Amino acid sequence: MENTVVSYFFQFDCVKDFLARMSESLGFNVIPLFVVAVFLLAILVVIGGLALVGGAGTLAERKISADMQLRYGPNRVGPYGLLQFLADGVKMFLKEDVIPTDADKFLYLVAPVLCIVGVFGTFAVIPFSDGFAITDLNVGVFYLFGISSLVGVGVFLGGYASNSKWSLLGGLRGASQIVSYEIPVTLSALSIVLLAGGLSFGTIIGAQSNLLEQYSWGHGLPWNWFIFHNPFTIVGFFIFFIGALAEANRAPFDLPEAESELVSGYHTEYSGMRYAFFALAEYIEIFVVCGTAVALFLGGYNVPFKIGGDGIVGQLLQAGVFIGKTFAMYYVVIWVRWTLPRLRVDQLMTLCWKYLTPISLFNLIGCAVWMYLFNGKSFLQLFF
Amino acid sequence: MNVDIFGVYFPIVLLIVIGFLFVAVTLLVTKVVRPNRPTPLKQQIYDCGENPVGKAWSAFNVRFYIVGLIFIIFDIESALMFPVVSVFKKMQEMGNGGLILIEILIFLLVLIFGIAYCWRRGDLDWVKSYHVNKK
Amino acid sequence: MFGTILFICSAIFTICGAVMVAVSKNVIHASIYLLISLIGVAGLYLTLGADFVAVTQLVVYVGGVVILMLFAIMLTGGADLKVVSRYGFTKDPGMGSLKTYVIGGLTSLFMAIVTGKLIYNAVINTTTENQLNMENSVEQTVSKIGTLLVTKHVLAFEISSILLLGALVGAAIIARPVKLGDE
Repeated sequence: MENTVVSYFFQFDCVKDFLARMSESLGFNVIPLFVVAVFLLAILVVIGGLALVGGAGTLAERKISADMQLRYGPNRVGPYGLLQFLADGVKMFLKEDVIPTDADKFLYLVAPVLCIVGVFGTFAVIPFSDGFAITDLNVGVFYLFGISSLVGVGVFLGGYASNSKWSLLGGLRGASQIVSYEIPVTLSALSIVLLAGGLSFGTIIGAQSNLLEQYSWGHGLPWNWFIFHNPFTIVGFFIFFIGALAEANRAPFDLPEAESELVSGYHTEYSGMRYAFFALAEYIEIFVVCGTAVALFLGGYNVPFKIGGDGIVGQLLQAGVFIGKTFAMYYVVIWVRWTLPRLRVDQLMTLCWKYLTPISLFNLIGCAVWMYLFNGKSFLQLFF
Repeated sequence: MNVDIFGVYFPIVLLIVIGFLFVAVTLLVTKVVRPNRPTPLKQQIYDCGENPVGKAWSAFNVRFYIVGLIFIIFDIESALMFPVVSVFKKMQEMGNGGLILIEILIFLLVLIFGIAYCWRRGDLDWVKSYHVNKK
Repeated sequence: MFGTILFICSAIFTICGAVMVAVSKNVIHASIYLLISLIGVAGLYLTLGADFVAVTQLVVYVGGVVILMLFAIMLTGGADLKVVSRYGFTKDPGMGSLKTYVIGGLTSLFMAIVTGKLIYNAVINTTTENQLNMENSVEQTVSKIGTLLVTKHVLAFEISSILLLGALVGAAIIARPVKLGDE
């Protein structure tokens, strides 16, 4: 159950022979070195790819919002403005790092680090494909929610350390918002764990591969997804999505960084690269959260009809399917931002505690009762 | 089932270390290229053009703390629920589905009662009023 | 070997974090050192082979309790305290009396004896059976914990929900606004 990238490569005999021969010729055991090297390479690839996604996300936001507002977005730098985020990156590098005089220096420096570490830590369990999840932990889903709550601490510290009234208010609101919306998100994930029978992403996505098993060609097709499993999971998906938007401080829940209210909220006093860390963490977190929604509800990396089999080609196709679905969700997230107005802070808290939490609690009960009554069969399995 | 601790948990440690290094190295590299001309005006906090008056925090509103407390309660509840729901399917196959369903229902109903009580007594309101229905 | 390195790093995080919490003069800095210490404890759980408990530690403590501590510090205005003397004490009327010195002396003697015994057992008295049995394999504990929670320890599971209910209602009652007409 706990597959990692390394254990995927160990399946192949040629790799094992190669390592055996290297160990003989070099005299010491090469395997730990191989493990470290493969993990390092995989992590660097994932970090590079996701940092690119984070940067491209800023560009995608500007272009998509421009499209919705019937104007051109950035279109000077590069063909169709596609290199704009690189120009923005260079700008961030070259800006002066202004630290307010009365700022709490230690906390000011620690806050972006916490945000980045909290987001990078989630990369370890994102299920890109069957073999290419960096490590498919036994407690994958739970671990993801835990390590992404470091971002809340980072937001609060960023607000507090700036020693400015607006930043502090933004930091407080941001931390309480992130913390409140973790509950409906976790409860919706609980109902999926109940249906899947395990906490690891591999188990959950495996349970969505082919529910109508008599039709062996039906692998990976939409009716196998958990979102269509029973009426409670449909509601659960929307609760998860709304809660995840709020966790990422993303409109319509972006009060902690609302431009019209708090200047720039908790990252007002950060300039240059430190601000870039906050922004990068936010855009990458959106990707991670969309990836989690895809893995939990939308079938993850299951390729329709199991094209490509189990080899390297199959793995790459699975990764492609996963990333494609996540990008579709990313587009929806950006779409929602530029469509809906911002929620007021008391409306935000009321939505969480008086609407989403009771609904997700009843969802959990509903899924448990469904599981008991129908022995875990999906809605469609009951009729076909 | 035992799994090798090195093979499975090492990438997490590596990721966290690389996260630190990412921030540290980027800041060190940009320290070389960026200008550094601090003036007292630049280092004042931004207050929409006015001079900032007083310290940053005056009075705390207790509702933030209450939100934190209620969050902790539900967080611990979900942490307790995670292992239970992950064996639901296994128990169902063994025939104990009803038993585990009753246990989950009791656990959740106690907490639903708690949140209903808090709702009714007005503790979940962001802006607390004195005129709450006290029944 | 990774287990040993993980143990050493987690132990350093835990102990240094705890020492810095006690020594630090700024309360919010102390909360951040507490965060580091709790992450170290999560690593220690991992070295013992308890993966679910380590992640629960991460979720509940790092994600919840530290934020709650920070909110509580803001609530009580603890961040405003200025250091009066070099060691963080203010001059207190009870200091310097015989009673204080006797009690302080007895307490420190007791703690020295306990700590000394611990160190003696750990360092001098170590045989191969007593040595830390480095778990190089981690069991998958989630399903075991789940099964036990619903079969053998059901009462503990259900009573913990009552405990959480009590905490919830207690927290709500404490925060109620006091009506102006009441005492």
